[in-house]
Amino acid sequence: MLMDFLLWYENGPVGVFVRESLWGYPFVLTSHAIGMATVMGVALMTCMRVMGYAKGVSVLAFDKLFTVGWAGFLLNLWSGIMLFAGSASMYFFQWTFQLKIGAILLGGVLLKVVMNSVRSNQSGWVQKFWAALCMTSWLVGVTTGRLMAYITA
Amino acid sequence: MTMQDVADFFTSSIVHKWIIEQFWLFPLCETLHFIGLSFMFGALLVVDGRILGLCKFVSMKESMKFIPVAIAGFAVNLTTGYFFMTSDPNNYIYNYGFQWKMIMIVVAGINALWFWFGEHKQLLALADGEEAPFRAKVIALISILVWISVIILGRMIPYTDN
Repeated sequence: MLMDFLLWYENGPVGVFVRESLWGYPFVLTSHAIGMATVMGVALMTCMRVMGYAKGVSVLAFDKLFTVGWAGFLLNLWSGIMLFAGSASMYFFQWTFQLKIGAILLGGVLLKVVMNSVRSNQSGWVQKFWAALCMTSWLVGVTTGRLMAYITA
Repeated sequence: MTMQDVADFFTSSIVHKWIIEQFWLFPLCETLHFIGLSFMFGALLVVDGRILGLCKFVSMKESMKFIPVAIAGFAVNLTTGYFFMTSDPNNYIYNYGFQWKMIMIVVAGINALWFWFGEHKQLLALADGEEAPFRAKVIALISILVWISVIILGRMIPYTDN
């Protein structure tokens, strides 16, 4: 059932476009890199600030940057779904891909937790702990994303 | 000095031998390149975002503290980029995508110098909530657009072989 779905998606028009169109794969891959730099950039800077860097900048100022971060995330969601179509039946079973998706989901949830704790003025070390965990999670996401090209098992 | 002399110089270096022989080194550099990019671009979003008026209520002076983060990210990428280039100089040096990427990095550098020597002091004097001058906004917009073009050209390198 799962394999049928993956093969259906992979052999459908999106998969064919990504695999066979001359500029399909480079275009989607480039979009993924821009989205990554944006969403990762906003997440990392927010975590750095919460962990104590540039204390003069109000943490809540990052709320505004989140609009840009969300745009990056949506670009990556779209391009990620497109790239997945290129080899869905392989990517799905790669542990690097599974870890990447898990780390991004965890990173997103932790970012929400970090900002909620900032808004409710919780004690400093709790926020810093969540921020450090959040930053680690995003870094694991980008690392496993790169390693997908090298570890195909 | 010809382009080939430059390529030969990189090929004869110890780093070339090292990155060819150590299978883990290239993926490690790629990962660090993406992490460096994220730190650099994120820091630029904070600084340029403030200049462009995205979060005007933030102190300009405080937001400038993210400039060293951007420089650190760039330093990581310059180092890892040197490793990539040294791994296969004959491919990179003649590659249109790579050549244009280098040109755009130089443009970004000139823009950064314009910012530092032309606008930096004036911006530091801005009060919280005060709008940045138009010229500074132009520099900030150029910065974001040029770095996006650098990302695009970097990803295009495998597809723009000469």
